[in-house]
Amino acid sequence: MASTDKPTTVSTPASEAAPPAAAKYSALDVGLRVLLFAASVSAAVVMGTAKQTEMVPVPGFPPTIRVPFTAKFNHSPAFIYFIAALSLTGLYSIITTLASISVSRKTKTILLALALLDVVFVGIVASATGAAGGVAYIGLRGNNHVRWNKICNVYDKFCRHIGSAVALSLFAAVLLVFLSMISTFTLYKKIR
Amino acid sequence: MDGVGSNLKVVESSRRIRYCDGLLRVVGLVLTLVAAILTGVDKETKTVPISITKTLPTLHVPVTAKWHYMSAFVYFLISNAIAFSYSAASLVASMAVRTSKDKTGIVLVVLDMTMMGLLLSANGAAIAVGVLGQYGNSHVQWKRVCNLLGGFCHQMTAAIILSLVGSLIFFWLVALAILNLHKKSR
Repeated sequence: MASTDKPTTVSTPASEAAPPAAAKYSALDVGLRVLLFAASVSAAVVMGTAKQTEMVPVPGFPPTIRVPFTAKFNHSPAFIYFIAALSLTGLYSIITTLASISVSRKTKTILLALALLDVVFVGIVASATGAAGGVAYIGLRGNNHVRWNKICNVYDKFCRHIGSAVALSLFAAVLLVFLSMISTFTLYKKIR
Repeated sequence: MDGVGSNLKVVESSRRIRYCDGLLRVVGLVLTLVAAILTGVDKETKTVPISITKTLPTLHVPVTAKWHYMSAFVYFLISNAIAFSYSAASLVASMAVRTSKDKTGIVLVVLDMTMMGLLLSANGAAIAVGVLGQYGNSHVQWKRVCNLLGGFCHQMTAAIILSLVGSLIFFWLVALAILNLHKKSR
């Protein structure tokens, strides 16, 4: 059965089957890149706007004395890295969306560059998500072994911002994995 | 004559790529295994003098640091263990790949990429917590602990560096496969 199938697929002209498949892939590619732009920029913005000031009792003083303390994203290097990485991903998604739209007939070099850069950005977004998630988890639960107290009971709005930003960047990382799968498959389809 | 020569060259280059691929997988396997073991055996106990008030005598309290006390390190160890078992399985699977038209090859590329993402996110989490342990965070009064538990921190740093190199190995595997596809494509 398979042996009779194979010659027919080979004998059909490639020009008939290839353009719809390529167009479908390309439309999906552009759609995912626009979605990636939305996810990464909103993750960076949500993280950047995370700021909350609360009246906190000072250790060593009686609990009636409370001082305003501010929680902001730039108090932790992990969150700064997160914003830098997600902003860079937003910029990358703009550039590659434009490249995907404008270059209708993609050359080999552009396909190679897209495939390699997609993989690099999978790594960047995954590490940023891991770093921010790791710190956010300690903020949520605390760690009594090293006496790092949880802060999310005090800074609730701040923590909601951080949590949403991490969730958005996780979504962006999944999108990037799909994008690089598409880029790799496009190269694979062109194999002799 | 020319056709035979170029054919031979293609066979030679594909053999070299497969050799390189297998070698990278073995290096990744060893690196992630060592990183997981270093994290798993990491344990340090120190007695720390604590003075609550000046009138009371100073108390000597034993403090133990273990990998499973910190959730980020648990995630790090599990990810490295997964990456180790994946590279053992993929080493076997990559032996079965004969030509680049093979479906197994493309599945391996996608899985390699996912594994790279998993390892890098675990590294990110472990590094972020490691930086907190080294420098602390004065804004939320998380004190640094690496001045007390230096040995634990050094061993964790070694494990993180090895695992980081391991994830770079996975990146090179993906890049090598993509370059190979590019070379063979029209």
